[in-house]
Amino acid sequence: MSLNKTLVDMDYLLNEAPREKHFITGAQAMAEAVKRASVDMAIAYPITPQSEVMHLVGDIYAQGHIKEYYRAEEELGTMSAIAGAARGGVRMFTATSGPGLLRGLEAIVSWPGHRIPCVLGVLTRVVNAPLSIQPDNIEMAYLMHSGVVMLHAENQQDTFDYTLAAFAITEKVDVYIPVSVSTEGFFVTHAKGYVDMMDEKYAFTEVDPYHAPVPAMDNEVPPARIQRDAPVQKSNFMSYLIHSVWQQEIWDCNSRAMKYVYQYLGGPIEVINPDADVFIVASGCAAAQSREANRYAEEEGLSVGLVKVKCIRPWPRKEINDALKNAKTVIVPEHNIIGWLSKEIKASIPNGGIVVEGPRVYGGMTLPVELIMEEIYIALGMDSEKLQA
Amino acid sequence: MSLNYMIPASKFKRYLPKDYVELVDYGPFGKKYSEVGVKNMGTYKELVEEHPMCSGCWMSYYIKIIFASLPNPEDTVTIGTAGCGRLAISQAAVPFIYGNYGDQNAMASGITRAFRLRFPDRQKDVITIAGDGGMMDIGFSMTMHAWFRREKFTTIMLDNEVYGNTGGQESGMSVEGAVLKMSPKGKNFGKMPAMQLAITAGCVYVVKMSPTNINKASKAIRRAIFAARNLGPTFIHVYTSCNIEYSIPTPDVFRDAKEKEKRSFCI
Amino acid sequence: MSKKITVGPVGYMPQSAPSMGVELSPEGKALLYGNIVEEEEAMRDAAKALLTMNNPTIFPGPQVLWDWREDVADKSAAILDLASEIPNCKIIPMPDYRPKYPKIDVKAEINPNHPNLTILDNKIKACVFIGVHCHYANLTLRMIRAGTSCYTVAMCAMMGHEEAMASIRDVHADSIVKFKDIVIQVRNELGIEHTTTMPPENPSLPKEDWGSLTPADYGEYRALIMSKKGEHVTAVE
Repeated sequence: MSLNKTLVDMDYLLNEAPREKHFITGAQAMAEAVKRASVDMAIAYPITPQSEVMHLVGDIYAQGHIKEYYRAEEELGTMSAIAGAARGGVRMFTATSGPGLLRGLEAIVSWPGHRIPCVLGVLTRVVNAPLSIQPDNIEMAYLMHSGVVMLHAENQQDTFDYTLAAFAITEKVDVYIPVSVSTEGFFVTHAKGYVDMMDEKYAFTEVDPYHAPVPAMDNEVPPARIQRDAPVQKSNFMSYLIHSVWQQEIWDCNSRAMKYVYQYLGGPIEVINPDADVFIVASGCAAAQSREANRYAEEEGLSVGLVKVKCIRPWPRKEINDALKNAKTVIVPEHNIIGWLSKEIKASIPNGGIVVEGPRVYGGMTLPVELIMEEIYIALGMDSEKLQA
Repeated sequence: MSLNYMIPASKFKRYLPKDYVELVDYGPFGKKYSEVGVKNMGTYKELVEEHPMCSGCWMSYYIKIIFASLPNPEDTVTIGTAGCGRLAISQAAVPFIYGNYGDQNAMASGITRAFRLRFPDRQKDVITIAGDGGMMDIGFSMTMHAWFRREKFTTIMLDNEVYGNTGGQESGMSVEGAVLKMSPKGKNFGKMPAMQLAITAGCVYVVKMSPTNINKASKAIRRAIFAARNLGPTFIHVYTSCNIEYSIPTPDVFRDAKEKEKRSFCI
Repeated sequence: MSKKITVGPVGYMPQSAPSMGVELSPEGKALLYGNIVEEEEAMRDAAKALLTMNNPTIFPGPQVLWDWREDVADKSAAILDLASEIPNCKIIPMPDYRPKYPKIDVKAEINPNHPNLTILDNKIKACVFIGVHCHYANLTLRMIRAGTSCYTVAMCAMMGHEEAMASIRDVHADSIVKFKDIVIQVRNELGIEHTTTMPPENPSLPKEDWGSLTPADYGEYRALIMSKKGEHVTAVE
């Protein structure tokens, strides 16, 4: 690279490279991570004015940190071009949200089956109608069944760290499926927070397209007669069997990502006050509000535990079961109407009846800590009017 | 030297199926066009041999011409989408990407740029080959925008004027009045002007033809690929009849192609 | 040692090894029946299988069949040496990954989309995959475990394979030589007499002569291409 970067592995980059504190937005944090990830190519589409990530990535390209960048015609074009370029052996990034994610979803859900390594930023936004550009993470529910590895960032610092880690995880030979990094639009993308970042002279080692579980389609790797994605559409038993084991392979890749979630993120969940009876379990921005609720509770002398879920796929079933094994009540605050996180938790623990499905806010509504506190008071059998006091 | 990836390891040559060894010994890889090419078809091992296309399929004939015309088969990637064509294209000894519906030109944009990044001093040809439905209906915006962006690859539209693979539905390229599935009372608008669209969108080399003359067809393909290397997007709109959905008896397929050549597909 | 992954057939709808809790071995270790063991232990078990089960076969994949990297010459020589030390060993390549059309020549090659055809037709009871890209190796190994009673050995240049009975990771030419030495050692322990013989060359079928094809060649489908007595087909539809 012309910018004279020091290329280092991800362990060094995340854990050892000296860091300095900056005060930046979540969108800037994601772009700063991309700057340090030796990305070859980014493809942008202006889905909403709700996140400026891809504008900032464009600036990074203009500064020479990325080799190629263009604005595509729409998300399906973006996501398809990523699938093409990644097959050609380059490191790819894009970001989208809400309706844009759904528009690109046909291509996105095929990425894992095509074994496309890339990083997808999801800066969450409501899904129409009615039209709105406000934050709400309902689109993540659609992504949960796609096979894509999903990380969910709580704040600006997480957004920076998870995005960097995502580039390492996606290219592991035993994973090699896309990794999405979600965080809430506006609440994180437009708000400033402190982010400890390493100097931009450090960058992640460049991609090696031949260290892969599938041949790059660059006319350099055998077999000559490559068709990576076999057309297994004959109506016979062997065709059905290859498709079923192929689907299994996608989800196996997804579950193999867990060890890298431990390596780079210190595990899929964070637990505070593990001996409590009442737990709040939350991901993303809701985890930040839950952290506040946990602090309020502590100030009031109440024992409340917190489980922050960093990784939605692979789903940390075992870890959540362990953390909640003695819980009496589990409160799940969320930024969407359907409650995908509470459903997952209910299905994961043997005593799903202890899950309180809420509080939930959506359509751009903020999540006041008081809403969570009220559930805590109810769970502890206290007079919820204490809230008004 | 990328030719190495298709030369058998010397120790293993006698353990490979003959088909693969012959492909290297008698195939077109690394050879001059004058030694192989369309004129010599039948005298060397071709890139596409057995395929599951219908008997009398004019499209499969044209696909054989495409592969016999490649200037640089060892450095070529083809991209296609759902449709009849990919049944034969996927049998060729050239890497083939079968993407999602109609996304071939978006995917080609990505991979062409990736090749230019990784191999700035080498020429790797990218060719998208899709049907009229994939190119002009479901993939319309991706086709057009790749041209507007001046992506340097070749687009070949195999126009059989119908959705053949899905059972004979009306497409944007069907002729006015055609009674097909999904147009039970006859199509009520004419063929989309693919040529004019390509010219307007900035294709530097555009050909519309019915491939009745094998040499002319080959020349057009090669020119399109050469022009795409340095100048910009190129487009070949080629008539490849569907003898099943249009009920053209096999012996009449060539006559039909000749007639089309005189009327709507004159070069 | 409890065997998490066993020789098949495990049945109609296989469960994937990772979903059964098998994890890839760390560097320097190997997998044997889904358990993490020393490399030598896995190699000894694999050697025993190749020496005692019927029709042992090595399936080299594209990464060792073609001369694309400098290490291919050493690896391919080592693979042939290994094969020459296993009695009755065959080499059947996996030259590419797309399904074979119109049908696979099962004596001449194996394909990851329908590996069972080659395994069953040749009655292969023990095999080694080497030089196959990991994605296709996983699919193939799982399908073989689902539908055949073949013992599978994966010699992987990267991280190994959960689905194989024995999985060796980070395989280079010298690990193949090491495996060959273990094969000789186990062979001597078992008292099997053998003189080094190269495997037979590829028995590709001769090109089919379509000119001499008769309706009888279509077997039970011949009725589909034969017109009925007195029937004269003119319509083309």
